[in-house]
Amino acid sequence: MKPAVFSYQSPRTLDEVFGELAEHGSDARVLAGGQSLIRLMNARTETPGVLVDINRIPGLDEVTVEDGVVRIGALVRQRTSEVSPVIREHTPVFSEAGAEVAHVSVRERGTVVGSIAFADPCAELPTALVALDGEIVARSTRGERVIPAEQMFLGPYRTALAEDEMAVEARLPALPTGRTGSAFLEITRRHGELPVCGVASILRLDDDGQITEARISVGAVGDRPQRARAAESALLGRTTDPEVWREAGELAAREIEPRPTVHGSSAYRRHLASVVTRRSLSRAAARALEGAHHV
Amino acid sequence: MTDTTTTDPAAATGEGFRWIGKPVKRKEDPKLVTGRATYVGDVNPPGMLHAAILASPHAHARIVSIDTSRAKALPGVVAVLTGAEAAEVVGPMTAFCAEPVPQHAIAVEKTRYWGEAVAAVAAVDRYVAEDACRLIDVEYEVLDPLVDMVEAMDPAAVKVHDTLEGNVVFHADKSYGEVDADFARADRVIRTHARWHRMGAQPIETAGAVCSWDPFTASMTIWSNSSFYNFLPWSFASMLGISTSRMRMIPCAVGGSFGSKHLLNKVIAISGALTKVTGKPVRYLEDRLENIAANDNVGCDRIYDGELAITDDGEFLSLKLHCIDDYGAYFQFGPGQHGCALAQPVGPYRINSLQYEVSAVLTNKVQQGFFRGAGADHGNFILERLVDAAADELGIDRAEIRRRNFIQPDQFPYKIPSGNVYDSGDYEGVLDRALTLADVEYWRAEQKRLRAEGRYIGIGLATCQERTAYNATEWWFLYDNPPLPATSTPESIKIDIDAFGGVRAELGCPVWGNSPQTVASQVIAEEFGIDPADVSIEHNDSTSGAISAGPGGSRLTVMLSGAARGAAGQLREKMIRIAAHAMEVSPEDVELSDGVFRPRGVPTHTGLTFADVAMKAHLFKQTNPEGESSGLVATYTYDHPLASMPTEDRKDTGAFYPIVSHACHIPIVEVDPESGLVTMLKYYAVNDCGTVMHPKLVEGQVIGGIAQGIGAALMEEYRYDEQGALISGSFREYLMPSSHEVPEIVLEHQETPSPVTPYGVKGAGEGGRLIAPTAIAAAVDDALKPFGVWIDELPMTPERLVEVIARAEDRAEDEESGR
Amino acid sequence: MSDKQRITVTVNDQEHDLLVEPRTLALDLLRDELRLTGTHAGCEQGVCGACTILVDGKITRACLMFAVQLDGCSVETVESLGSPDGTMHPIQRAFSENHGLQCGFCTPGMLMVTQELLRREPRPDAETARAAIAGNHCRCTGYQHIVASVCAAGRAMSEAEHQHVDRQDVEHQGARA
Repeated sequence: MKPAVFSYQSPRTLDEVFGELAEHGSDARVLAGGQSLIRLMNARTETPGVLVDINRIPGLDEVTVEDGVVRIGALVRQRTSEVSPVIREHTPVFSEAGAEVAHVSVRERGTVVGSIAFADPCAELPTALVALDGEIVARSTRGERVIPAEQMFLGPYRTALAEDEMAVEARLPALPTGRTGSAFLEITRRHGELPVCGVASILRLDDDGQITEARISVGAVGDRPQRARAAESALLGRTTDPEVWREAGELAAREIEPRPTVHGSSAYRRHLASVVTRRSLSRAAARALEGAHHV
Repeated sequence: MTDTTTTDPAAATGEGFRWIGKPVKRKEDPKLVTGRATYVGDVNPPGMLHAAILASPHAHARIVSIDTSRAKALPGVVAVLTGAEAAEVVGPMTAFCAEPVPQHAIAVEKTRYWGEAVAAVAAVDRYVAEDACRLIDVEYEVLDPLVDMVEAMDPAAVKVHDTLEGNVVFHADKSYGEVDADFARADRVIRTHARWHRMGAQPIETAGAVCSWDPFTASMTIWSNSSFYNFLPWSFASMLGISTSRMRMIPCAVGGSFGSKHLLNKVIAISGALTKVTGKPVRYLEDRLENIAANDNVGCDRIYDGELAITDDGEFLSLKLHCIDDYGAYFQFGPGQHGCALAQPVGPYRINSLQYEVSAVLTNKVQQGFFRGAGADHGNFILERLVDAAADELGIDRAEIRRRNFIQPDQFPYKIPSGNVYDSGDYEGVLDRALTLADVEYWRAEQKRLRAEGRYIGIGLATCQERTAYNATEWWFLYDNPPLPATSTPESIKIDIDAFGGVRAELGCPVWGNSPQTVASQVIAEEFGIDPADVSIEHNDSTSGAISAGPGGSRLTVMLSGAARGAAGQLREKMIRIAAHAMEVSPEDVELSDGVFRPRGVPTHTGLTFADVAMKAHLFKQTNPEGESSGLVATYTYDHPLASMPTEDRKDTGAFYPIVSHACHIPIVEVDPESGLVTMLKYYAVNDCGTVMHPKLVEGQVIGGIAQGIGAALMEEYRYDEQGALISGSFREYLMPSSHEVPEIVLEHQETPSPVTPYGVKGAGEGGRLIAPTAIAAAVDDALKPFGVWIDELPMTPERLVEVIARAEDRAEDEESGR
Repeated sequence: MSDKQRITVTVNDQEHDLLVEPRTLALDLLRDELRLTGTHAGCEQGVCGACTILVDGKITRACLMFAVQLDGCSVETVESLGSPDGTMHPIQRAFSENHGLQCGFCTPGMLMVTQELLRREPRPDAETARAAIAGNHCRCTGYQHIVASVCAAGRAMSEAEHQHVDRQDVEHQGARA
């Protein structure tokens, strides 16, 4: 199992990357952590003619906060993100999801933005990104645009990035303070595997304990992480109650079109969507009631 | 020759030995922990080429044409062979079946499973070889794939092999004892179905071979991780079309086998064919995808219907087993794994009679090989499920019903209805100890407490046999006219002592992950009264003449102990004769203790050291006893101590797997009924493999086997789609337990020595995996008792469990609504 | 076609100046070019962990990295453990003494994971050890003895460290007196 021949570029600036992408289009792939890409290249499922290695470009490995938005550069490793106090403080659900990604050895190299751009429908970080109403900054020789998370994922391994674009940054709006709680919960068949269902949820309560905001992102069930909008709407104005979570879970399961894989049929995944949504909401609510939005 | 088949009285307790049973340093380790061991992937003779194969993308297709010209033109490519071209230089792979089911390492005319090789390339490196594979143009005529074994049995179904009349390649229906009469006197008959899906050994090292053909001397050197190089080397030679006496097979360190690396014909045939056409050494080492999809990796794939005739007191009378077994596309080892299952179909229980019916079916999947358990794992599953069902139906405790039916210690040697013999055992002793070890009362209280919280924990119990040290008759006694009715499974060793008294042993078997070096050194040290650290161990290649069946069938520790004790005994006797002569006493009056020969009963005598006597043996012929040859070298071949022939009419299989270990496993699990996930909380086991040769090594084997059993119970499965494409073809889909899925395992030993083996040892290599799956199944349905769940299918994937629970709930509703 | 690239990489403290094809995996560079065959290929898919090495101190799957990416890096493999005089590294010794290996094929990866863990966490408990090796498959041992080996290595190394410090103290005091 060995990769096919490719030409290797290791530019020192982003402009050079955009130049390569503009020139080679779909024949070029960006190499960041490579934890998915190289695996596929070994199996020759992916055979890019040009590999653009961005690992030597300075300045892409920073996590910053600006105006209540966490910015994660294209070379921030999953391990860095997972243990980042900044991310934990502002978007704890992203840290929680990040801790579930594969194993430490993979997270040491794998990048946050790479995982998002790879768009595995089961992957944890895209699911969390969608719950957080995050954004992806895409850049090319043509300029820069910002893609909202929900518009980023088109299907399995398909994103809104054009052939000549590179995802240079992920942006996560900080969760509101106060009675907000979030949770990421997943079911995997084996520790460290991609989930068969993963749900990131965010709940905000008012002083009376009524739900004023609900966000539910269901990953690994459909062909991409998706918001369960009907379930979210149904939660507004309700109080925290097991029956409420159960109803929301059932609504979520109904609105996601499941995609079967070897690890679970459509029926099983739909079933899990209901179970995991319910459990995720319950955990998020408990955290919201604790008053702070820590994990 | 010394008698090696009598047992030391000391064996009964393991006491009285200096090295047997002691946790001596493992001899295999230094090379392994330093990265210095040579696995087949590390063998790199000058000029070596690398092979890759093009795999069939179809489960069943006729090869209309193959064009290799583009591949041949690629720089770096040295040879490309289609199946037809390879068949001109190497023959079909050795098969041990009686039926006409020829198998070529590279498919000729037709591909019969997804992933089967259709062409092979030798190139300067593996990268280029893989490039070339993608330049081979194959035109296929796709045929209907046979994916379901029951559908394949239909006489109207498309045939996997045109040489056969249908896809049921083998059928047998054997009765042993008075089955009808026993069923007639039964109060009731317990019935259950059992489904055990296809699983694979998946050693972390794949299979490979480096073959090097010298056309000028017509000789072949082969490095491989096959273990049969000293048992059936002629089978490789005949497959390769070369002289048996000009073939040398060199063993490598083996990165795990679990039964999957016995023959490895495919890798040897492919690298053998490529070296023959290139005249250069060629390494074909499977990659992971090839190893999963297309090797001897796969265990049995069985559907059972079982019937247990019992009395209302819970006494077992008779057993009927009906089995359909999906063998995949070929029939390499014939019905041998059913021979294996017949070693212990009745388990540790007194069951008077047995009916055993098997239909072996061919389908478009990779062929079965051997995987730890080798068919007896499935046998334990159906039997223990029947026993649990009987207990549940009669309202008898699951432990109690076993107790009532155990073969008693005074009944050994015990002949089971089919003819195999159990040498010894104390099953109730093991059960009692396990119940105490697991503190079942505590867990029952926990179960009750947690159920009130809506959590479901379960306590499983299984009491199973582990047949060890097989004899070759198991491969063929189900045939009336076997193709190769072999009756030997020998193990050999060569020991030599140099003039300075240095002790060297050469083994006929490889290191598979077991510890033959350590075991041999323990035995030799025991016999010579020296330190195991002072015994140096090497591995013979196939030219030594030291025929050895090697590891497999949990035989090696038993058989190697016999060989080592035999050879050491011969040398010790010779040294005693020489020492006696020098000290002018009679040999009967000389004892060897702590490496010194002295007149018996005279501890103050300075005596002669081991080195003194060795030097005399090597260099002082004229002062040694008359007729004593110079030097100290002995080769000893140990044959099976208790095997016997099957009868002509096959009403009696004879003893073929008679060294029988036993264990009781008690796993504690928690089931999440909503997701179907099973979490192993704790695992208790009491194992009885006779005298424990080395406590750490036995622990390693048993715990490792249990971990594989957890995989079998919960996650491991070959999955094919409707077209017969393998959809669990990598470690991302074929899931095996990681450290997270294996709980703390608490293990104890009971030692009931074998009366027929050296030191009373029995095998211990397979027991963990033979027993854990059925024990965990019992734990899961114990956990889900409130739902009325009954487990009859493995693995219990989360999805299957959710379905089983839903079905049980539907059934309960139906019953409630008055049906 | 691809052009070979020049890289400088330090492997087990030895610097190498090499020409590599871009598609050569780090795994194959170590095994085929440098003949450091202790690092094993298990799945080439990043699942099994048999090829785990340390790159600039971080645990890395050598099958999921190209050799060319090692330019300027420092690599540690199993061959870095143990001394030429035959003294095993405490991690190696702990694995052997606790029977933390059987066939030995996953062992180099396990040893390197342990090496990295003990640098971060010198005295791991069983739970930490179990979590640390979760990304490395072993088909032989059932992991229990590996967990014990990792913990034992931590204990042995910490104790050796303390003894070393104690001895230094003694020597220091001796010098002062």
